[in-house]
Amino acid sequence: MPFNQKPQKFNAKINAVTIGSGDKTVTIGGENSFPFYSFDAPTENTPKIGVEISDLGLDEFSEGVKAYYEGATTMAEIAQKAAAIEGADFVALILDGGDPNGANKSVEELIEVVKEVAGAIDCPLVVEGCKNVEKDAELLPKVAEVLQGRNALLLSEKEENYKAIGAAAGLAYNQIVGAESAVDINLAKQLNVVTTQLGVDAKKIVMNIGSAAAGYGYEYVVSTMDRIKGAALGQNDNMLQMPIITPVSAETWAVKEATASEADMPEWGSADERGIDMEVMTAAADLAAGSDAVILRHPESVKTISKLIKALA
Amino acid sequence: MAKFVTIGERLSTTAPAVNKAFTERDPEPILKRAKQQLDAGATYLDVNIGPAENDGPELMKWAVELLQGNFDNVPLALDTSNVAAIEAGISVYNRSKGKPIVNSADAAGRIGYVDVAAANDAIVIALCNGEGIAKDNDERMMYMQTLMERGMEQGMDVENDMWFDPLFLVIKGMQDKQMEVLDFIKMISDMGMKSTGGLSNNSNGMPKHIRPIMDSAMVAMAMMQGLTSAIVNPNDLRLMETIKSCDIIKNNYLYADSYLEI
Repeated sequence: MPFNQKPQKFNAKINAVTIGSGDKTVTIGGENSFPFYSFDAPTENTPKIGVEISDLGLDEFSEGVKAYYEGATTMAEIAQKAAAIEGADFVALILDGGDPNGANKSVEELIEVVKEVAGAIDCPLVVEGCKNVEKDAELLPKVAEVLQGRNALLLSEKEENYKAIGAAAGLAYNQIVGAESAVDINLAKQLNVVTTQLGVDAKKIVMNIGSAAAGYGYEYVVSTMDRIKGAALGQNDNMLQMPIITPVSAETWAVKEATASEADMPEWGSADERGIDMEVMTAAADLAAGSDAVILRHPESVKTISKLIKALA
Repeated sequence: MAKFVTIGERLSTTAPAVNKAFTERDPEPILKRAKQQLDAGATYLDVNIGPAENDGPELMKWAVELLQGNFDNVPLALDTSNVAAIEAGISVYNRSKGKPIVNSADAAGRIGYVDVAAANDAIVIALCNGEGIAKDNDERMMYMQTLMERGMEQGMDVENDMWFDPLFLVIKGMQDKQMEVLDFIKMISDMGMKSTGGLSNNSNGMPKHIRPIMDSAMVAMAMMQGLTSAIVNPNDLRLMETIKSCDIIKNNYLYADSYLEI
């Protein structure tokens, strides 16, 4: 009997969200099939890759990453080199230095960094806060204000600060709101509900549903993404039809497989290669589970994942 | 499983205000009731224009265009004994939010409504009833088979486009028949078919404050048996909260703390 292919059709789709303004924009989401199921439906928009840079500069980055950015001293130069990486679709600036338990830079200081980076590149921009909920509630509305017209994605509002960040980014300054939950499908949905109840357009929300490095409770990330896509498409749940962005690098470059030096762990081999491996493995799994965009750090990881997307999508 | 489909019943000529508005083509009361029902979470709106013997087609067209034009092509159930009016309504109906529902066929005098739905690619509510009320589930099943055969003959997608109505019966007078109706819903569900019905029949004649309680209990038990839709008053808050909660328990819809607000 001949094989008769029956495509799995859904009467629902993920929202297509465009980040950036002018000539250089990227659109994520828009799909009405599971990740890379191009045999069920043509791929609307392929997954996109962002390159992570930090207001703290390059000090915390691995040798290989530092080598790529050699010669770049200002944040503007770093941003330009990030945008130039082969396969990069957007730049993700993380304002790590705002953390009150770390460098504790002032909001004003960080805003200057945002302005410098935004002025140096015209590609789509994602700005992530310092992850401290009080500081971000103060910082991200200011970021939204100075980036008016850039249609930037701001990461992230959380349950504790969605009112301040959601209202500023989504209502007052017309940016895209990143809604972050920590691998909790019910909270992911709830955050979308309350954000839209503020008046934010559901089609201006992108979810960060949480992440982990492969091997670090990662299976919960996969099952959460899987269930979100299943409910969004199979149950036409419009409070889960927001595309998903996953900041991969912040997780993968913090685990011992990436941080242990070659001197301490000679049998593990090159620290840089291990870091790339962790980043590539995790990002590939995120994309296969339903991420519409990933944020990566190492140029080699960006190149590799970009090839994977081209081959599969 | 898909979310339970609620069909709002408040646009009916049995309500004097609605009857008057239909007769006089007065949009205001119609739009007001439609908005109340949609705000409360109704998926479909039933448009019951009565027999409308004189001006049925023209009235149904007016109602369909009025409601879909004002409420983003809200999907509608066209409810009248005037076949020409149903066809006229469908001729101006926009399907972007869902197929029209023909309300309703039965296994006797109104079996031709199946043909009307089939010819117009519509959903049909198929009442498992002949002349008079079926005496038991064997008889209901016989009517259901008759309706299904008719649908298949006409080329309908019977699993999706025929919604079988077990006929909810009034508790005051037919209390002993209630479990049988619920058992029949299970039979429809076990056959992989969809179901709907006028839920509030069960509480007919009961005091006003009792009806929401009884309707809520009935819908919960019926959803347990596999009921996929009901024709209801969406402005009955207790009932809508029960339906939403049952959808969560049945895993038809993902839980979030604000689930009652969406």
